[in-house]
Amino acid sequence: MAKTEFIPDETLDCSGLNCPIPILKTAEAIKKIEVGQILQVISTDPGTLLDMEAWSLQTGHDIVYSRQREASNIFYIRRTI
Amino acid sequence: MTLPAAPSGETKIEIEEITVAEFYEKISQENDLLLLDVRSQDDFESWRIESRYTPETMHIPYQIFAEDGPDALEELPDLMAIPDDREIVAVCAKGGASDFVAAILRDEGKTAVNLIDGMIAWGNYYVVRPIVENGSYQIYQVDRVARGCLSHVLVSQGQAAIIDPLRHVAHYKELLESVGAQLSLLLDTHAHADHISGAIALAEATGVPYYLHPYDAIHPFDMLPAVIDYEMLHDGQRFRLGDLTIQVLHTPGHTLGQVNYLATDQTGQSYAFTGDNIFLQSFGRPDLGGQGEAWAPIVYDTIFHKFKDNVPDNTWILPGHYAAFEEANGEGVYTKRLADLWRENIGLQFEHQDHFITYVLTHLPQMPEQYVEIKRVNIGLTQPDERMASELELGKNVCALSDAYET
Repeated sequence: MAKTEFIPDETLDCSGLNCPIPILKTAEAIKKIEVGQILQVISTDPGTLLDMEAWSLQTGHDIVYSRQREASNIFYIRRTI
Repeated sequence: MTLPAAPSGETKIEIEEITVAEFYEKISQENDLLLLDVRSQDDFESWRIESRYTPETMHIPYQIFAEDGPDALEELPDLMAIPDDREIVAVCAKGGASDFVAAILRDEGKTAVNLIDGMIAWGNYYVVRPIVENGSYQIYQVDRVARGCLSHVLVSQGQAAIIDPLRHVAHYKELLESVGAQLSLLLDTHAHADHISGAIALAEATGVPYYLHPYDAIHPFDMLPAVIDYEMLHDGQRFRLGDLTIQVLHTPGHTLGQVNYLATDQTGQSYAFTGDNIFLQSFGRPDLGGQGEAWAPIVYDTIFHKFKDNVPDNTWILPGHYAAFEEANGEGVYTKRLADLWRENIGLQFEHQDHFITYVLTHLPQMPEQYVEIKRVNIGLTQPDERMASELELGKNVCALSDAYET
C-alpha cells in the first residue's frame, strides 16, 4: 500500500506564541496559498490542538495530518476553498 | 492632594480587563452581565462558569473572529443586539483569545472586558468566609468556587489546623499570615478522588505532620501503598488545638478510610467536618473505589449508627463539597445544623437499609475516569506537573449521589 506523503507548500512557525496568535496567523496564512496547497503549522501552545480542530470544522480547511513532536504540535492543513 | 487637570478633548477611559476577584464579586449578586465564552464547543459543554447568580451566557468560539475579524459580527445578530452600555465579559481558557474578541467588540462600540487568565484563573479562585470568629477560636471556610470544593481552617491560641487543604496552597499561607497563626496540623478526611490535596505540599514545605487514615493509604484499584510521609489516624483519636478538641470518627463508606473530624469548643458547641461522608443535601457515593455494592451498606451503617450516635444534633455540619449554590446561607457559608439535615438531607430519610442501598445503587452518576489517577497523585504514586494537575482537575466534582445535581 502506498504511503501518503504530504509536502507542505508553506510553513508557519508559531513556536513560543500563545493563543489566539497561532490560529490568527493560520487564518491569514491559509489565504496566501492556493486552493489544494498545504500549509504546515508548528505550534508549542498545547491549546492549539483543540483550537485548530475547531477552526478546521468552522472554515472547512482540512487538517490532513497532525502529529506531536516533543513540545510541538505540527499540522498539515489543505486549503479547500 | 491636587488632582491632575482633566485631559482636554474627549477622552473616554475604557476598562479592558477585569480580575477574577472583581468578576466573582459581580456574579455573587444579581447582575446584568453578559458572559461571552469563546472557547471550543467541547470545552464549553464540559465546564462553564456558574455562580449563585450565573450571568446570561453566550457561546461563540473565537475562531470565527480569527477568520473574519469584525465582519464576523454581521453573522452574530444576538451579540450585536446587546446594548452598547451593557457589560460583556469575554472568557476563554487562558485569557488570550477572549482579550482579542473583547478588543474587537470595543472597537464596535460595545462595553466589553476580558477576564484575565480566563478559566485558569476561575478554576484557581478561592473565597475565604469566616464561620465563627471569637476570642477563643476562629473557623474559616475556604471555597474553591469553580469546583464546589470546600476546605476548612481552624485557629485557636495562635495554632492552626487545615482540614482537606486544596491544591493551591498559597491561599492558606496567606490566610494564616493574615490571622497571625502557626500551622500545626494537616488533616485530610479521606484520600480525595476528585481533586488534588494540598496536604502533601504543605507538609513538605512546613514539616507539619499530615494525618490520613491508613485504609485510604492504599490505592483501591492498584492495591499499591502510599509513598508519602503521613501519620496514621485511628478512630477515637483526639487532637488539641488551643481551646478546641478535635476528635476523629472513623466513618467509612465513601472510602474505607473516610473520617469525620468533630471539633468541640469549651462551651460544648461542636462542628463536624464531614468531608465526603455527609453533604448538606446529599451524601458521598460509595463507588469511587470500584466497590459500590460492597461499600453501600457500610455508608448506611456509618450514617445511621456511627454518625448518629456520636454527633450531637446542634452540631454545625461543614462538608467537603456542595452541589448547588443555594445550599449556602445568607453569608455564603455552606453549613447547617445536623438537626436540619435529619429533616432535609435525602440520605438521612431512609429507615431501612435495603431501601437506602437500592436508592444509592440506582443514583450513581458516571465516575470521571481521571478520578483513578487523582487518587494515585494523592498518595504519591504519581507526581503530575502543573499542567497535568490542572487537566486532572477540570470541571466540577461528582462526589455526591446524582439527585443533588438534578435539583
